[in-house]
Amino acid sequence: MKLLLTINGAENVIDVLALAPACRFQFGDAPERHAHVETPEPGVYSVLMDGRSYDACVEETPNHLVVSLNGFRFEIEARDPRRWSPKAAGRGGDGVQTIASNMPGKVVRVLVTLGDAVEAGQGIVVVEAMKMQNEMRSPRAGKVLSLSAKEGATVAAGEVLATIG
Amino acid sequence: MFHKVLIANRGEIAVRVMRTLREMGIGSVAVYSDADRTSRHVRMADEAEHIGPSPSTESYLRIDRILDAARKHGAEAVHPGYGFLSENAEFAAACEDAGLVFIGPSAESIRRMGSKTAARRTAIAAGAPVVPGIDHAITLEEAREFGCAHGYPVLLKAVAGGGGKGMRAVEREADLESALRDAASEAERAFRSGEIYIERLITKPRHIEIQILGDRHGNMVHLGERECSLQRRHQKVMEECPSPLVAQHPEMRGEMGQAAIRAASAAGYYNAGTVEFLVDQERRFYFLEMNTRLQVEHPITELATGLDLVRLQVEIAAGARLPFTQEQVAWRGSAIECRIYAEDPYHNFLPFPGKITRLTRPLGPGVRIDGCIYSGWVVPMEYDPLLAKLAVWAGTREAAIERLLRALGEYDVSGIRTNIGFFRQILEDVEFRAGRLQTSFIDEFLERHGPPQPPADLAAVAALAAALHTLARNGASPTRPDSASQWLQAGRRELLR
Repeated sequence: MKLLLTINGAENVIDVLALAPACRFQFGDAPERHAHVETPEPGVYSVLMDGRSYDACVEETPNHLVVSLNGFRFEIEARDPRRWSPKAAGRGGDGVQTIASNMPGKVVRVLVTLGDAVEAGQGIVVVEAMKMQNEMRSPRAGKVLSLSAKEGATVAAGEVLATIG
Repeated sequence: MFHKVLIANRGEIAVRVMRTLREMGIGSVAVYSDADRTSRHVRMADEAEHIGPSPSTESYLRIDRILDAARKHGAEAVHPGYGFLSENAEFAAACEDAGLVFIGPSAESIRRMGSKTAARRTAIAAGAPVVPGIDHAITLEEAREFGCAHGYPVLLKAVAGGGGKGMRAVEREADLESALRDAASEAERAFRSGEIYIERLITKPRHIEIQILGDRHGNMVHLGERECSLQRRHQKVMEECPSPLVAQHPEMRGEMGQAAIRAASAAGYYNAGTVEFLVDQERRFYFLEMNTRLQVEHPITELATGLDLVRLQVEIAAGARLPFTQEQVAWRGSAIECRIYAEDPYHNFLPFPGKITRLTRPLGPGVRIDGCIYSGWVVPMEYDPLLAKLAVWAGTREAAIERLLRALGEYDVSGIRTNIGFFRQILEDVEFRAGRLQTSFIDEFLERHGPPQPPADLAAVAALAAALHTLARNGASPTRPDSASQWLQAGRRELLR
């Protein structure tokens, strides 16, 4: 079973040849490897590989998986390459840019209205969390095509607030 | 001794105070806002009272509601913790007027030490060294004279200021005129007062503070220093006792300790307090300000001295004399604390509140956690991002660093982001290990280092875990179905909630 993984921004392919517990897999160009895998707790993968013991914790977020391992954090997006299509991945194609909240919080100000012409770098929405305000700016000049942000609304990290095209 | 104490605070410090109250056989009353109904401090308290909506201006900063809660529950004293109303002289006075003992200094001492310029005058009068400067609004001519007399660089600051607004560092006299003009106009916009004063700029200072403790009978001791040079945006993130500098120059502890006692005594201070100093590269120290409350980082002093500062605060508030003399205070080993924040250190330290989906705390020798979080708790977005303080103690600084690294490795907080990984990077840093600390350490560290690069083997294991997780979610079982299916189903349900 092949999966296309985007790990901290870099694309890799993993081929799982045998499932857990006696797992066999091929990662990138490396030769086939064996690993013994158990899930002692939900979302926790105990991996024994080449005599070493690893505890990988997997959590699901709206956009990707987060794997914590030995104090390192991996943001991983996994896709089945057979189902992968350029259209699905090309959100924001034709130069349309989405403005997504980069932290969970509350929308305290919406600085534009639908249809407004905006400059590159212009503030679109201000999100606040834990006494810190963060202004989301437009990455390009264009028009506000959609605006889902509402003042007072709670937003998740990665939630789309507006699109600019 | 009191029978019941109200804690006018939330989060980890409320929990910290309650722990000592319980050990002393004193009942605890929690107060809470809408956002905190299920918070740890409410669940842990003996009694609890709702004091208003989530914004702190409508709850934790409402003196009237807190006093009502104290009356309703029959509390005899109030512990303010840190932040919120802890350094509010009006609150201390209101408690006393309501017949409640304020567990802290007098309202008068808070007033005398609360304002930076008033505290500076008190310190000067007490003979404590301060950064050379002119305390009142200056003209360009006065600034020039000061520059000639004390040398450059100098620092221009807004008289009404705070938060770095209207502040300018000036490297040479040629830049003085334009810097003064810019600072005054920025101060005018921010504070409606363009008055500027001047100080000598201490380059790359250390921030070292002294814990003091005094009773209401005129006795006062110091409990040594804490090195708090590791800061980001003027917020401390990691503290240690002893300071690596003081460890090399042990006479500094007594000198700074005596200066702190002189300044605090001049303000008629009692209970616990902290005098902050800047230390320059020639190891000269200067009074900076006084915090008239229990400090966030007090656990490292407790670990190094074996004292319980909250117990001493309560006993002193109840009228007890200090139970030891300066000569009886002893320091042992080395303690380091790091402040675990809900923030993303690799995306500009943006706050990251949310639901904690899994929590594993470090355990074992020499580890102390002062925290308030639990698995399943939603960290509120209304308050400070401090989740917990992880402190370790060991015989030497080197051993304490290794212990802290070990403990951070055991710490797993899932569902939100934290700065746990960032601390591990700092602890591995050569400059940190050498004890070469100063207040711009973290900014310079961030310029030297990007996000940590994981070894290739770890990437393969992470990829495998992610792949198995994805396949399991899509229907393939990642482990033997007979042994794990129910757990997996429960786990998936939990994760998909």
